[in-house]
Amino acid sequence: MNFTIIAETNGDALHPTTYQLVRAAANMGSNSTVICPNGIGADEAAKINGVDKVISATGDCFNIFDGGAWASAISPICGDITLISASPNGREIGSRIAAIKDIPIIQDIVSMTEGVTVTRPIYSGKAMESLTISGNAVITLRPNAFEAALTGNDAPISVVNQSADVKIAIQEAIDKASERLDVTEADIIISGGRGMGTIDNFSHLEEIADTIGAAVGASRAVVDEWGMPHRMQVGQTGKTVTPSLYIAVGISGAIQHLAGMRSSKYILAINKDPDAPIFAVADYGVVATWEEAIPALKTALSELQ
Amino acid sequence: MNITVLLKQVPDTTAKITISNGKVDENSVSKWSMSPYDEYALESGLQLKEATGGNLVAITCGPERTKKMLTDAAAVGADTLVHISDDGVTDSTHVQQLLAAAVKKYDSHVVLCGKQAADTNAGSTGPGVAELIDAACITLVSEVNHSEGNFLTIRPSNSGTEKVMVSGLSVFAFDKGTSELRRPNVRGIMMAKKKPIEAISSSDLGVNLSSSNVKLNSQNPPPEKPAGQKFEGAEHINEVVSKLRNEANVI
Amino acid sequence: MAYEALDFYDVDSLLTEEERMVRDMVRDWVDEEVIPNIEIACRDGVFPDEWRVALGEMGVLGAPLKGYDCPGLSYTAYGVICRELERGDSGLRSFASVQGSLAMYPIWDFGSEEQKNHYLPKMASGEWIGCFGLTEPDYGSNPGDMITKAEDMGDHYLLNGAKMWITNGSIAELAIVWAKLDGVIRGFIVEKNDPGFSAPEMKGKHSLKASVTSELVFQDCKIPKDRMLPGVKGLRGPFSCLNNARFGISWGALGSAQACFDSAKDYAMSRIQFNHPIASYQLVQNKLSWMLREITKGQLLAYHLGQKKDAGTWIPEHISLAKMNNVDIALEIARVARDIHGANGILDEYPIMRHMANLESVKTYEGTHDIHNLIIGRHITGIQAFTREA
Repeated sequence: MNFTIIAETNGDALHPTTYQLVRAAANMGSNSTVICPNGIGADEAAKINGVDKVISATGDCFNIFDGGAWASAISPICGDITLISASPNGREIGSRIAAIKDIPIIQDIVSMTEGVTVTRPIYSGKAMESLTISGNAVITLRPNAFEAALTGNDAPISVVNQSADVKIAIQEAIDKASERLDVTEADIIISGGRGMGTIDNFSHLEEIADTIGAAVGASRAVVDEWGMPHRMQVGQTGKTVTPSLYIAVGISGAIQHLAGMRSSKYILAINKDPDAPIFAVADYGVVATWEEAIPALKTALSELQ
Repeated sequence: MNITVLLKQVPDTTAKITISNGKVDENSVSKWSMSPYDEYALESGLQLKEATGGNLVAITCGPERTKKMLTDAAAVGADTLVHISDDGVTDSTHVQQLLAAAVKKYDSHVVLCGKQAADTNAGSTGPGVAELIDAACITLVSEVNHSEGNFLTIRPSNSGTEKVMVSGLSVFAFDKGTSELRRPNVRGIMMAKKKPIEAISSSDLGVNLSSSNVKLNSQNPPPEKPAGQKFEGAEHINEVVSKLRNEANVI
Repeated sequence: MAYEALDFYDVDSLLTEEERMVRDMVRDWVDEEVIPNIEIACRDGVFPDEWRVALGEMGVLGAPLKGYDCPGLSYTAYGVICRELERGDSGLRSFASVQGSLAMYPIWDFGSEEQKNHYLPKMASGEWIGCFGLTEPDYGSNPGDMITKAEDMGDHYLLNGAKMWITNGSIAELAIVWAKLDGVIRGFIVEKNDPGFSAPEMKGKHSLKASVTSELVFQDCKIPKDRMLPGVKGLRGPFSCLNNARFGISWGALGSAQACFDSAKDYAMSRIQFNHPIASYQLVQNKLSWMLREITKGQLLAYHLGQKKDAGTWIPEHISLAKMNNVDIALEIARVARDIHGANGILDEYPIMRHMANLESVKTYEGTHDIHNLIIGRHITGIQAFTREA
């Protein structure tokens, strides 16, 4: 059984997920072939331990993202098992390749063992499913669910020129609107409460929100007292939210606030009062003032980006 | 224009998921709903129909209970309701084959669906069906318009969004759309109730499904979250952030 | 977030698919548009006009009436609509009850063909709001002795008198007014611009704050001859309307009760005292269990009454029993829910006090609790106990 990895890229470099894909294959006792669409990151990929060879796939079809064109260019050079990141583009290319080859596609796995047996979350993580695949397949891997492979390798790089029919055309690029996400839509929310001192200090939360694409929320106390917009209010009379991560800063955790956010998947609470009730529902709690914690959080999060 | 919308019925995203004997207990699901992104696909399909005229075909593949969702779609304006009995098919490649055959049978000019269904969250259907019907596919779109024989759509890009043009048979997989979803009304509900649902099977569609190479071993509750961890002092922020990434996997 | 109603005996599984679809439509609207805005509406003392528009667009006004662009649903569906609306607020349900059962229904049942064609389509769409004038300042439970009177002036009628506690009065395009013509109670359609008619709003309510309540004043109010409802004479007219409205209330009160139960359950599960959720204590479980018991009985009562209404096998006493019982238990459930919420129960962060205060009105209007008891008493004994005369 051989593994083909379609590299995930980020601008001109490899995305960290690519290292995780290689490691996942290596854990199965198999070296892998890495395909770099448009040749991006080929030199970098050659250095990853566990890579047998790198194929730099070039061609005009890679100039814009058309999943159909990419899949048709890449699928002829894929082997038995193809691994891709479960990013939106990865899922799209993977689905196409599976359909071209008439083989199964398993998306968004978080573990893979001999068999090939994989697990993936279903129902938005309310359950996990274990599947065994016989024969060839395309599998997409959830970013950060696998450890990254190390570097030091020097695998050979070959260039393959591919062509495919691009069916779409970009008409216009529209820059990201500066509008911040609404609390009911965001996957990450950072909320402030009275512990933030004054309304002006919310700018620090906004900076963090912009770094990680989060929404900014607030407790009722500050919405009422500081006249913040009601749509930001999380809690009994505000919005009920269920993000993957809820960061509560300077919020003590009155029962009315907890009613709006306790179903969040993970909760990080930052509060200077070690006895604040918010810590009782927090998965991670940091006892600190916002003045100490927020700069550190900002630095740590921007390093991840 | 023949507009096809692919719909999937899923446990309502707020419903509790119960597992018994290593399998999700579907009977215990308190509420089944149209998958949220499919709702935006349907809304966009209705708008396309209003703008260009034509017929909106709502297709689903699933057990009997999914017929209710088709009636819901009719209540807001779907013209033709098609139910493909799934005979227990779960392999997404097989479902795509059935859907693609139905898309051809109803002579579709454009296909809309959600970017992923709220049960598996996979996102294979749109691009997979597109491949099988030799169509372009654009995913994560927020709106679709039709102008002078072309479809114009908006999808995310690295720097924001981009307007993408495509012509010919195309598949659009919807993220949350820009339009508000319409509400049904009593008149729509009463008409929907009378609307027949066309029931078709894999043999009606001429699809011979091979046996699946994917075996379901078990479904289990997610691993228990570790007990809450509390750290004294801001110097632990780095450690917490790395736990958020590696332990919780949320950033 | 989809609302999951308490339905211990799966009573809603007895509804038709159409009735369930209507339920879900109204339920979703209440969750998305009413519950997030109700406290502000109450604080401001207004009935949001968007709600009128939305009810018209959904097509639920005058739910069980057929023809004339009316919805043509079952009475059971009408009950379900009332229940879902009242889970939001009794004032909202009152709006729909008055429009459908008290203003549209008398035109539909007792009006001339011209009156039906003229008024009903615009009332079903929500464009025109109607109200209902029966109660007077000095005649509540005893409407038969009303003093509002109509005089036949040859080419018009002249109305004199006053009505009180009139839901929708100041926002209504038309009023169904019951007045005595030569000593016989008759129904008249009064339009808002008729000379001599005014509808000042009554302010200062601690209950039904998101509902408009008014007086209707007639001072030599001149109305054209074709505005009398030809089809009914005597108290049978207003009482027919009230039967339908009370039927809706018997369902509606369950909506309030459910909202209070939901809030009490959530609160009890998350409120920690003595290191454990208060839901884990026997006294609290006893209260929750009692609430569930009464709501379940109320649901069965309402559903069966709906079936009888649709089958035409009902008598007014059936409706009296359901209205009396379901409002009574809803009010008591609200009070017990307040108790479970402790001090938090008095805040407008929770719906409890609002429902409780609303239900005090609902207990009194459309036949007071005691009057319904007397109706049942008369049914049992054959002896009327309303008055010492007779």
